[in-house]
Amino acid sequence: MLPNRSRLSVLVFLLPPLLLYGVAVLFPIMQSLFLSFFSWNGISDMEFVGLTNYVRMLTADDVFWRSFFNALGYLAICLVLQLGGALLVASLLTSMRRGRELIKTLYLLPAVISTVAIAFLFVRIYSIEPVGLLNQLLHWIGLGALERPWLSDINSVLTAVSAPEGWRFTGLYMLIIYAALLSVPQELEEAARLDGASRWQLFTKIRFPHIMPVWITTTIMATTYGLRGFDIPYLMTNGGPGQSSELLTTYMYKTAFTAQTSATQAPSPCSSSSSAWSP
Amino acid sequence: MKKLFRTAAVAAAAALALAGCGSGTASDPSNVSPTGEVKPREISWLLSRPADGAVINIMKKLADDYAKDHPGFSLNLITTPDRPSYIQKLETLAAANKLPELFDTDATPFAQQLAKQGKMVDAEKLLKSLDVYDDYRPSALDYQRFDDGSLNMIPFQFELEFIWYNKALLQKAGVSVPKSLDDIPAMCTALRDAGITPIAIDGQDQWPLERYVAYQPFREGGPDFIQKLKKGEAKFSDPAGEKTVQWLASLGKAKCFQDGFSSQGYSDAQNQFTSGQAAMYNIGTWELPSLATDKLNSATRNDIDFFTLPTTAGSVTAANEFVSPSGIGMAVNSKTYDPLVSDFLKFALTKYPSEYAATGALSPTTNVETAIPANATPLYKKALEHANDLGNKQAMPWDTQLDPTTNGRLQQELVLLVQGNITPEQFTSTMDNAIAQNAPKFFK
Repeated sequence: MLPNRSRLSVLVFLLPPLLLYGVAVLFPIMQSLFLSFFSWNGISDMEFVGLTNYVRMLTADDVFWRSFFNALGYLAICLVLQLGGALLVASLLTSMRRGRELIKTLYLLPAVISTVAIAFLFVRIYSIEPVGLLNQLLHWIGLGALERPWLSDINSVLTAVSAPEGWRFTGLYMLIIYAALLSVPQELEEAARLDGASRWQLFTKIRFPHIMPVWITTTIMATTYGLRGFDIPYLMTNGGPGQSSELLTTYMYKTAFTAQTSATQAPSPCSSSSSAWSP
Repeated sequence: MKKLFRTAAVAAAAALALAGCGSGTASDPSNVSPTGEVKPREISWLLSRPADGAVINIMKKLADDYAKDHPGFSLNLITTPDRPSYIQKLETLAAANKLPELFDTDATPFAQQLAKQGKMVDAEKLLKSLDVYDDYRPSALDYQRFDDGSLNMIPFQFELEFIWYNKALLQKAGVSVPKSLDDIPAMCTALRDAGITPIAIDGQDQWPLERYVAYQPFREGGPDFIQKLKKGEAKFSDPAGEKTVQWLASLGKAKCFQDGFSSQGYSDAQNQFTSGQAAMYNIGTWELPSLATDKLNSATRNDIDFFTLPTTAGSVTAANEFVSPSGIGMAVNSKTYDPLVSDFLKFALTKYPSEYAATGALSPTTNVETAIPANATPLYKKALEHANDLGNKQAMPWDTQLDPTTNGRLQQELVLLVQGNITPEQFTSTMDNAIAQNAPKFFK
């Protein structure tokens, strides 16, 4: 129990950020929740419709479910590329003797390129008319049969829009995991090696368990970022063709800001937070 | 827990209070000649036009001229050229009742709701009171009108949309200019067989493909079809609707558009055409400076020509009736309309046409002649001449007609239909359902 005086000082210090949080985050959320029970397009009369918007979203809106499953697919691809890629590169780095810094910098580079540039870059890479890098490569190695307009093919588009996001942050997570791998006690590894442990055993029994806490944190971070993925798919395909690369976030954006019919995720027009996730 | 509930209750109450900010009082939108003294101040125009385009440059200059005689006046131009972002901004400001003195909008269902609430000045009365109404091209004004014929937006442009083509490529494939819309699929097949991309299209922006869905119904049923379709009174399963769906599917089957068009942008498509890789390209006179001057690639410059929207057998609209938009219009906010805004508009609107025509663009009025640039090819003049020979009907772009949700769905489904990912039947049923679900809310 804190003495009274310091309790007051805690309150004094906590109150301003709490107020700010309440006004900037809590209030818009509550307001959106409140608006979701209405049918309103911003300028029409507000009509109370109860749970109709939710019922429609969950039972009659095929695009909602499509984007829900797309978002899961997008997340899975991002996680595999980011965490799997990061772990692989970080493990290889620890066994490298020279050029580590260069490799690290090269891998981290995409994380500092602006999203818009990345989106345009990959639109070019995936292009077929004029032929882009990916299709050209496939052609050169004799896999010409696989050439396709990656962003227009409904079977490949989700993977194609997820890959840039995954590629982009691989370097960042690689750095974190690499730092964790460096902290694995050398004497432990040495002892295991003396006992005849293989490299795989060394990895699964000593290294990976040791970096587990870092791994969990990284997974949480990557999942959070993956779930709010918006800009790259929005810029590259705008959810298309059809709804093949529509994510919950892009669909939400369209429903709230361009469709303006249902208040499922209605914007709060009177508060500045309504443009929080504009690209 | 108790505290949380209290917070929630406070938030909900505040939300209710704030929600009230959506409705505001408007002054009489038909009072176009406000009386009183002209008091110079800063006025704003929220617009969606290219930042360095002719309209903005001219209006800036006119505002500066006006400010010389009216110290203290200034025109604040806030432009958001990206249309979806602009619409978001406009709708948010409209909901907050914070629209500026002047704002751009198409004749969309949303704008019509604003007009019905008396938030926009009656533009017909305004133009008549300024004595400039008769100068305007009737079709430039008609483009801005709502379904009921009311006019609340003032046009600043006038454009004609043509299908540009490459004579050499058509000749190479042994095809001629299509006489009917129905000839195009076969033409595409012949071009593809000759190794040529038939049509270059900007699929990323979605409106270019949406133009194609409007063509067959405009020829088959005239301008009324979309008016009925958007309200759910006509369907895609009706003859005119079915014809357009089948036609689009056949365009897809004949591989009319470049591979992977859905992710290609405006300049990609234009480059394909101007570099001689694609045979046709559907675009308006706003591209004359790049298609009909010596800026055009010299390799293709002499091969380029255009034709207007072909008719069909039994077409109810004539060959000189096609898409002739006057661009996004400018609405005048009735709440902030005062002697100053009125006086400035009078000054600007009388001087604007001659300044605009001097840039080589088509004025929305007929009282000035467009100056043809020195570096123009003969096509420039030929294109402008079509403006003097237009019929009474015009094909409206569907994206300004449909309610936003249906429009979004249509743009998505069109790509799937043309790519052959869905059948015409699936397209028809999805779209008829979407209209049935969304139209009543907008057009009640």
